[in-house]
Amino acid sequence: MEMEPVTKVNLQSFRKNLLPAKLLLPKPLIDANEKALVEMDFPNSRQEAWKYTRLNRVAKIELESTAASPINWEDFNMVKGAYTFVFQNTTCIYISSEIPEGISIKIGDKIGSTDWLSSINESHVAKLNVAHAQNGCVINIAKGVQVDKPIQIIYITDGPKQPNFWRNQLQLEIGAKADVHIGYFSNNAHEAYSNVHWSVFLKENSHLVMTKIQNDGEANFHFSTENISQLKDSNFTLNTVTLNGSFVRNDVLVNVEGDNCETHLNGAYIMKENQHVDNHTTVDHIFPNCNSYELYKGVLDEKSTAVFNGKVFVRPNAQKINAFQSNANVLLSNDATVNSKPELEIYADDVKCSHGSTTGQLDEEAVFYLRSRGISDAAARQMVVAAFMQDVFSKIVSKELKAYIYAKLANRFSWQYEEEL
Amino acid sequence: MITIKDLHASINGKAILKGLNLIVNAGEVHAIMGPNGAGKSTLASILAGREEYEITAGEIDFNGEDLLDLSIEERAREGLFLAFQYPVEIPGVSNVNFLRTAINEIREHKGQKAMSAKEFMELVRDKSALVELDSKLASRSVNEGFSGGEKKRNEIFQMAMLNPKLAILDETDSGLDIDALRIVANGVNQLKTNQNATIIITHYQRLLDYIIPDFVHVLYDGKIVKSGGKELALELEEKGYDWIKNNAAN
Repeated sequence: MEMEPVTKVNLQSFRKNLLPAKLLLPKPLIDANEKALVEMDFPNSRQEAWKYTRLNRVAKIELESTAASPINWEDFNMVKGAYTFVFQNTTCIYISSEIPEGISIKIGDKIGSTDWLSSINESHVAKLNVAHAQNGCVINIAKGVQVDKPIQIIYITDGPKQPNFWRNQLQLEIGAKADVHIGYFSNNAHEAYSNVHWSVFLKENSHLVMTKIQNDGEANFHFSTENISQLKDSNFTLNTVTLNGSFVRNDVLVNVEGDNCETHLNGAYIMKENQHVDNHTTVDHIFPNCNSYELYKGVLDEKSTAVFNGKVFVRPNAQKINAFQSNANVLLSNDATVNSKPELEIYADDVKCSHGSTTGQLDEEAVFYLRSRGISDAAARQMVVAAFMQDVFSKIVSKELKAYIYAKLANRFSWQYEEEL
Repeated sequence: MITIKDLHASINGKAILKGLNLIVNAGEVHAIMGPNGAGKSTLASILAGREEYEITAGEIDFNGEDLLDLSIEERAREGLFLAFQYPVEIPGVSNVNFLRTAINEIREHKGQKAMSAKEFMELVRDKSALVELDSKLASRSVNEGFSGGEKKRNEIFQMAMLNPKLAILDETDSGLDIDALRIVANGVNQLKTNQNATIIITHYQRLLDYIIPDFVHVLYDGKIVKSGGKELALELEEKGYDWIKNNAAN
């Protein structure tokens, strides 16, 4: 009997309804990317980076672009008074009229192929993004410019089985400073797929805070990749807040390519039902005298699952590195699962590094204490669990954005945060 | 106020309380003393509703209600308060925010309207002064980074805020220096009225120099084996618990 040949149809058939890239990307990049992509399939669980994140559910969807419905972008607004632009599927539906001098924002067909700086990523997610990028932005903050208000970018996936590929680039010139809020949402979507890529370049002495809110619909799939490059004396913070989504995968790669840099990665995820969230982070210390701090915390209820994999590399010449990494989880049900793997690979000898991972149940002593003062069981549990997450939220400096997150948490999980607002 | 009849309780199959009887009326202060392992803290835990204990026999009437039928929070809302031997640290939950939630849940239970922020803050100011608790501590995370004495003062502060009918002080004197002991006792004494009652659980007599009990009971091997007036505490202090143990053995 003739065996069925092993085919690479999954990824290719997954691509069959996807449109080729509409963004003008450098031709060598597209060619090399396509060449690699046709040889690829979805990774399986034998591959370390996908060990606990199965892609079968994703591979099975027959994606199809549909016409977006009319929406009011303000329904998705996170903060007032920001420099805002909004994508709904492949269309940019709103741009703030008053972008000040020193901030250059190019969107969609305004981006030329030479605007893209090189950013290589080998994962199938990033390769799909190159091949099918429909829209996105290239932002440049000029030398020494301290942006006075947050830049807010809102992405809305609209319609069932809608595929969205957004590709973006953000560059801070020497001494520039910016606070960027990014929100991922959906409207009327089911089994929709979004794949967003950010290439971020921090030049010398620049300062960037990026906070992304992932609040996709309950039945949607979201892939987010950030490739960050930091030069000397730069300070970078990425806050990832995952509130909803059937399946969320974050791949963060920070290349610290200069002395005296500071890197902060903070993550909060609160999942329930059958939701799955996967945070893969890599901080690569190539230069000496740098600090990196990583704090990811999660709360998992019902049958939800989470994966944390945080790698820190300290290369041979990268002396005097302080690298701290921590992942802590609370499981609210017996059916919830966390797979947490902090990894340190250190090739220099004069470094201070630590990592830790904890997964446990809610502190029942604390719940008892609160109930013994007259607080209901449900309210006591919410208080303790909200308190557990608080130190991650306290890393979010923008008061307005924090208020937005707290409002979402109150709405979705009945958590109450009152202080420090 | 509370009537405990023939209470038997066990944990993991091990009998701890073996037929305990106690009646406490409004306006009274009762001290329960006894050697380690007698069941003192078990009694406090059961009254507060700790769920790991199994009640194998007996009943507890609390102002006409079957206490054992009430959930932990219902007991608190009905006016029962436990000052913990080991108060729990809860990072991220602010002392005043949680007390405000507690007070308003209790008020809702009683059909009263929620306390205004202004009223509440006035109450915090008054009651924290009562136990000389720094108002900064009052607004910090529950017990986080508090010293042993501050934790115990915080318990009495919470008691003052919640104004319970029956307060149970579980080894509140343990770990307190003499000044903290005086402050805590002073707080308890000021909260005393003829409408409420206090049960003081203690190993040593010294707290009873500051809070004068109306009755002293000796708990040994799961039962109250001796009851008397305040002079019983002094007698115990003098003769030691062996006196009771020997008496019980005979």
